[in-house]
Amino acid sequence: MNSPLTLETLFHIGPVPVTLPVVVTWGIIAATTLFCLLATRRLSVTPGKLQLVLELLVTGIEGQIRDTMQRDPAPYRALIGTIFIFVLLANWSSLIPGVEPPTAALETDAALALIVFVATIWFGIRARGLAGYLRTFAEPSWVMIPLNLIEQITRTFSLVVRLFGNVMSGVFVVGIILSLAGLLVPIPLMALDVLTGAVQAYIFAVLSTVFIGAAAGEAPLRQSSEPKGTAHDQSD
Amino acid sequence: MQIDWWTLGLQTVNVLVLIWVLGRFLFRPVARIIAERQALAGADLAKAKAALAEAEASRDAARAAAADLAAQRQQMLAAAQAEAAHQKETLLAAAQSEAEAARRTALADLAQARADQARALSDQAALLAGDIAARLLQRLPEEARIMGFIDGLAAAVAALPEATRASIGAEGPLRLRAARALSESESDALNAALAQVLGRPVTLAPEVDPALIAGLELETPHAVVHNNFRADLARIAQELTRHD
Repeated sequence: MNSPLTLETLFHIGPVPVTLPVVVTWGIIAATTLFCLLATRRLSVTPGKLQLVLELLVTGIEGQIRDTMQRDPAPYRALIGTIFIFVLLANWSSLIPGVEPPTAALETDAALALIVFVATIWFGIRARGLAGYLRTFAEPSWVMIPLNLIEQITRTFSLVVRLFGNVMSGVFVVGIILSLAGLLVPIPLMALDVLTGAVQAYIFAVLSTVFIGAAAGEAPLRQSSEPKGTAHDQSD
Repeated sequence: MQIDWWTLGLQTVNVLVLIWVLGRFLFRPVARIIAERQALAGADLAKAKAALAEAEASRDAARAAAADLAAQRQQMLAAAQAEAAHQKETLLAAAQSEAEAARRTALADLAQARADQARALSDQAALLAGDIAARLLQRLPEEARIMGFIDGLAAAVAALPEATRASIGAEGPLRLRAARALSESESDALNAALAQVLGRPVTLAPEVDPALIAGLELETPHAVVHNNFRADLARIAQELTRHD
């Protein structure tokens, strides 16, 4: 097994090298799209079992966003929900033999964190205006401007590192155990990975919600520090 | 450690695509159907509320109608009672007046009956008195029953109007009723007395009528001259029984 920190190029599309995480992600996208198309083809006012599950998922995500942000969840639903579903599916893709989860690659986590970073700024400006958003960096006083700027970077970075570390370590451990012991021994660790993957997906989604909510929030005080600390305790 | 920027870019694009795909094909339709169901439920709820309000309105209307009906019934009952009371009063008054009239009629009848009875008694008493008098007169001497009345008869004839006196005896013998058959002397005395009064002799056709008791009765074509007890008793009885 190669180092998880280096990616193996599978093939090239023109000048673009395509690596394994990208291919797995494409697979996830294809499967998800197919599933959504099939599942939402016949939505009815009197729902079936599958529709009930989908509605439970959607209302659960909306409820989480509403509870965290105290806002209408509709504008954030697609972003937060997709992050949760994608991270979850990516983490659990390790259960398929021969597939390495895309979230075990730093680039995927960085891409997710980048999107959350941009979305935070975007929603912050949209809710408060550019001046209003910039003013939040000077709270509670202008002395805090450098710290707030650093926090923007570090918390994004912490998102990347937390997800990457958890998933990559799981893959690593399973690989090591597999090479040492044999076929069925890593199964308990894989089960643990399932739990870890779900928890990480939830944490990533909730932290994204908290960051965006803090940026877009009406309150002059930024409330990101306290939930972030709590999330750190849970994840690490 | 190195970052594969191509992979980073591709993954970013991938995630953005996935965000669009899920938003377009999962979240939006599911949220829409949830909202649709909520709207339907809300509409049903509103419908149910409207139906409830309608039912309540109907119930209130029914209650009002019932109250109205009860009031009408009460009113009609009161009217009927008043009517009955009025009729009762009217009937009572009519009955009272009728009873009063009947009582008055009965009183009047009673008074009338009493008066009639009194009159009858009085008549009987008069007749009895006449009878008694007649019996008493039976004891008078026979002469007195004629002779005593000749002068009186003559005086009565004399009191008649001249025309009447002139017609007496002009058309034949005068009918003379006496209590008994006249004796010769009596007949003469009578003829003499009448001739003196009338100024001419008249022919008498004497008849006997014991009912006269005592006295004479002269019958002319235009007048009857009484001078007897029967006429007197009749007059007295008439006087006595005149109830005025």
